Amino acid sequence: MKKALVKDTVKEITNTFKRFLSLILIVLLGVGFFAGIRVTSPDMRNTLDKTFDEYEAMDIQVLSTLGITKKDIEELQKIEGVEKVEASYSTDVLVSSEEKEVVVKLMALTTEINKPKVIEGRLPENNKECVVEPRFLNGTEHKIGDTITIEIEDIQNEEGKDQPLLKEKDVTIVGTVHSPLYISSDRGTTKLGSGKINYYMYTTLENFNTNIRTVAYLKVRGTRELKSYQKKYEKKVEEVKTRIEDITEARRQARYDELYKSANDKIQDAQKELKEQKSKAEKEIQDAKQQIKNAKVQVSTGKTELENKKTITKEQLTQAKKELDKAEIELTEKEKLFKVEKQKIEATLEFMTPEQKEQVEQELLQQEQLLKQARTTLNEKKRQYETDQKMADQEFAKAQQELNDAENKIKTNETKLQTQQKNIDKKIEKAQEEIEDAKMKLADIKKPDWYILDRNQNIGYASYLQDADRIDNIASVFPVVFFVVAALISLTSMTRMVEEQRAQIGTLKGLGYSKRQIASKYLIYASLATIIGSILGVSIGFYLIPAIICDMYSMMYTVSETVLEFDIGLTVAGLLAASICTVGATVYSCIRVLAITPATLMRPKAPKPGKRVLLEKIPFIWKHLNFTQKVTLRNLFRYKKRFLMTIIGIAGCTSLIVAGFGLRDAISSMIPMQYNDIFHYNIEVTLKDSLKQKEIQSAHDEIVNKQDIHEAIKMNKQSVEVVKNNNNQSIQLIVPESVEQLQNFIQLRNRNRKDEVYTLDEQGVIITEKLAKILDIKVGDQITIKNIDKIEIQTAVVGITENYLSHYIYMAPQLYSKLYEQTMRPNTILAITEKLTEEQEDVLGKEILKNNKNISSVVFTSMTTTIFSEVMDNMALVVWVLIIAAGLLALVVLYNLSNTNISERIRELATIKVLGFYHPEVYEYVGKETLLLTIIGILGGLLGGKFLTTFIIKTCELDAFMFNPQIKLASYVYGIVITMLFAAIVSVITYFALKKIDMIESLKSVE
Amino acid sequence: MAYIEFKNVVKAYQMGEVLIQALDNTNFEIEKGELAVIVGPSGAGKTTALNILGGMDTTTRGRVIIDDKEISSLKEKELIKYRREDIGFVFQFYNLVQNLTALENVELATQICKKPLEPKTILKKVGLEERMNNFPSQLSGGEQQRVAIARAIAKNPKLLLCDEPTGALDYKTGKQILQLLQDTCRKERMTVVIITHNQALTPMADRVIHFKNGTAYNIQKNEHPIPIENIEW
Repeated sequence: MKKALVKDTVKEITNTFKRFLSLILIVLLGVGFFAGIRVTSPDMRNTLDKTFDEYEAMDIQVLSTLGITKKDIEELQKIEGVEKVEASYSTDVLVSSEEKEVVVKLMALTTEINKPKVIEGRLPENNKECVVEPRFLNGTEHKIGDTITIEIEDIQNEEGKDQPLLKEKDVTIVGTVHSPLYISSDRGTTKLGSGKINYYMYTTLENFNTNIRTVAYLKVRGTRELKSYQKKYEKKVEEVKTRIEDITEARRQARYDELYKSANDKIQDAQKELKEQKSKAEKEIQDAKQQIKNAKVQVSTGKTELENKKTITKEQLTQAKKELDKAEIELTEKEKLFKVEKQKIEATLEFMTPEQKEQVEQELLQQEQLLKQARTTLNEKKRQYETDQKMADQEFAKAQQELNDAENKIKTNETKLQTQQKNIDKKIEKAQEEIEDAKMKLADIKKPDWYILDRNQNIGYASYLQDADRIDNIASVFPVVFFVVAALISLTSMTRMVEEQRAQIGTLKGLGYSKRQIASKYLIYASLATIIGSILGVSIGFYLIPAIICDMYSMMYTVSETVLEFDIGLTVAGLLAASICTVGATVYSCIRVLAITPATLMRPKAPKPGKRVLLEKIPFIWKHLNFTQKVTLRNLFRYKKRFLMTIIGIAGCTSLIVAGFGLRDAISSMIPMQYNDIFHYNIEVTLKDSLKQKEIQSAHDEIVNKQDIHEAIKMNKQSVEVVKNNNNQSIQLIVPESVEQLQNFIQLRNRNRKDEVYTLDEQGVIITEKLAKILDIKVGDQITIKNIDKIEIQTAVVGITENYLSHYIYMAPQLYSKLYEQTMRPNTILAITEKLTEEQEDVLGKEILKNNKNISSVVFTSMTTTIFSEVMDNMALVVWVLIIAAGLLALVVLYNLSNTNISERIRELATIKVLGFYHPEVYEYVGKETLLLTIIGILGGLLGGKFLTTFIIKTCELDAFMFNPQIKLASYVYGIVITMLFAAIVSVITYFALKKIDMIESLKSVE
Repeated sequence: MAYIEFKNVVKAYQMGEVLIQALDNTNFEIEKGELAVIVGPSGAGKTTALNILGGMDTTTRGRVIIDDKEISSLKEKELIKYRREDIGFVFQFYNLVQNLTALENVELATQICKKPLEPKTILKKVGLEERMNNFPSQLSGGEQQRVAIARAIAKNPKLLLCDEPTGALDYKTGKQILQLLQDTCRKERMTVVIITHNQALTPMADRVIHFKNGTAYNIQKNEHPIPIENIEW
């Protein structure tokens, strides 16, 4: 390139700096927006990958319906490609505090894989400590250092006995953590409480009183360096998954065998013991029977002996009696004889000497003495006999008594034996029954199911990736708007620039410069603008846009700090696209101009001939237009390129603004619509599990009797699934106690025709709109609903109701009883209150909880509203990004348009100035066109905005939400006003540019 | 006092570091209803003088008075008003608005005037009755210049200023245009100022102002101007 040309190029840039700047700006906008929004999705993915790397998050997790054993873990460890395996235990528990009862996912702390990240405090060091997620503290008003009690059901140990799962149920919170398993707010469903898990927490693995684990986390070798969204990663993980599947069958069998054996052993043992017990019992009974028999024999011998003894004793006694009687008689005879003799002797006494007398008397006395002695002896004997007889009688009576006792004892023993026999029979029967049961159960033992899941089955991970995909969708549409406008703008301004300089080009050509040399000036001009614009664009775009968007998402996900990457590929792509627009346009105009001979070039270019417009053929309208209007209309159709560019540019601007505000409408009206128009209740009370009908009623009555509460309804609310391919939406099934009453609490109606209100009946269920959309269900379709106990029922959909948050299925209680063959048991009470302040709600909530131990939680809808409005505030950022982008776009487009317009028509404008047009008139002469184009553009933009909003909503909407697709009138008005405002700014600039036009221009020859 | 007075007018431009004296103490007068020709080589300052006369440029020093109005002291807005009501301008390259028909080009001027003439009548007068609904691109150079003259006259101005009106035309057409201008002057009693570098045209004027090096060095008054058809060059 010749020096003079370089100089000329530099001069050109400084002389037409405004044009150069606007070219840079449009390229900056186009490339910046393209690169920025395009890089957002990869940035999000990288952020997610980084997050998971930081946690040492698992690549694969293995779950088994019957638990993971040590042996399973050893086997998993052996698999090729597995770097490490760590097992953990997780279960759902209830934690109640003064305020309420919450459902918590309790997990065992892991140290190698899925390491929780400490946010505050520290990790638990012993069984008496735990860590919770930060939201737990906000939600339950606990703080670090508090001790909480974990309510948990007992588990069966190896011996089949119930034992507590946790060694320590009272644990102290020592810190808060984030877990890679739950990066979104979804904690999954449970059979406990309201059916939704509220929070997660960790305690030490040692605190779990079992050797069985529920899950094994696996890290695949060599995946850390890979990005988890890459095919390479997926392939690697898939390989290991396949290998795990290979051992699955064996492990399932092993676990089955183990459980079978242990159960079977127990049965065998039981049977053996039964047998032993049986024989032992039988022997005992036998012994007892023998003893009874022996006793009976003894008794009968005793009886005989007694009889014999009686007879002998009687005989002896009779003999003794006889002897006594005989002795009596003899003694009486003797005494008689002695008396006679004594009388005889006494009679002789007087006749005897004293000696003799004395002797006789002595003898008599002696004899009398002897007789007396004999009498005494006899009496003694008689007494002895009587005593003997008495004793014998006593003895016999006693013996008889003993015999009777023995007999009685035998009798009782016999009855005892009978009952014992009965008892033993019963026991044996029962034991046998139990063994039969155990045998049945043994037959029921199924092989456990193994679930081999990877990161994609993690709710948070998957939904974050889905969000990244949504951004990708936007990224493939939005930049197109900018690029189309950029292409149009650079085409018009570069064409204009080349056209303006046709005389110079002609001169250079005449001087003998080659086409390439001449064109190089314009190419350099365009390239330079493109390169500068692109570099500025990517520098701003790569950092600003992902930062803003990721920042928004970080409100909803707990992820690491955003990874902002400079993407060379995108830079090149952006630069290339921008170059095609600008340099391409330049090449096009250069080629056109350079094909003309120098002489023709140096002559003035024949001005574009005037043309009549179609409207002139309708004199009725044409006649009524004033002069400037006619001129304006003619000019409009004269410069079609500019016409198109302006309309597209303005339409783009208006659509972006309308879309921005429309999006805000859609998002922000969602919550008020849900909680004012659809849900009329203010309180949702969750009852504790398995309450009696009476307890439920009393809880209900208690609530209804509160002064601030107007009305309350009992209902059953449970998490269900709709069985349809590849669907994992979490859905709440609501069965009110009274269909009529439900209308006061939840409005079921058609979104488009609000007065079309639905009532539940036995014909089928009513489902919410978004659910119907996701699952492609229409009124009249049959759906299969699976509850948490895996019971499936089939019913028809009779209505699709307006709803914005979450998914619900509404079912009449009669239908429920028909389908589930049991009556609905309420577990939730909804209530409508007076208008209350936050403090009043707080007081009321505490009162309800305090007075009724059967209530597990009280949630005010106002709390949900507050939480969501914060999320919505973040979403408002998107609106600002769109509005600012739109505004810049409008400015650039309009500025360019007016610039081109002026430079293209400078002679005409100078001429009308010479004719004496006042400044406003001159402005009106061109401004009317701009105004008309702006109006047409705005009209197009309003329509485009509606489509754009619908599109964005469709692509960004989360599955659990339905944005309200109704754009408010105000948003359209904003779109109009803001576009007009930007147009007005440009008008002011144009006005002054017009004022500055030198009339001398009119005297110059056409160039 | 003359109808047009140019008194000691100086016009200087600062072009970079060089001060260019376009008009250097220029004096001339033109009477009402006269056909004046300003003649001189290029760069002599005649266009500058015309621009100042037409209210398109201002003086650096000196006074310009037209019909008792000192235009050299007018403010911008008054200047526009002056151009609007008092001046008709005929350009070398006609400067018609391409997107407007002949009639509309005339209307473009008349719609902003207080007491304009009927555009159609004017176009008839300049001999374009048949072509007034044509666009400039459908007209020949002479025809286009006639439209331009019609546009200037239709404003019913005090002064008709013509900058090389035949510069882009062939001899015959040029002569017709000059005839038209001369007729306009005579019949409508309009003061006409024509700029040309063609010395041969001077006999047609009532007054000839010679320009050289930024000043009017010689002013002649023709007592008997010759009709243009009698002039050959």
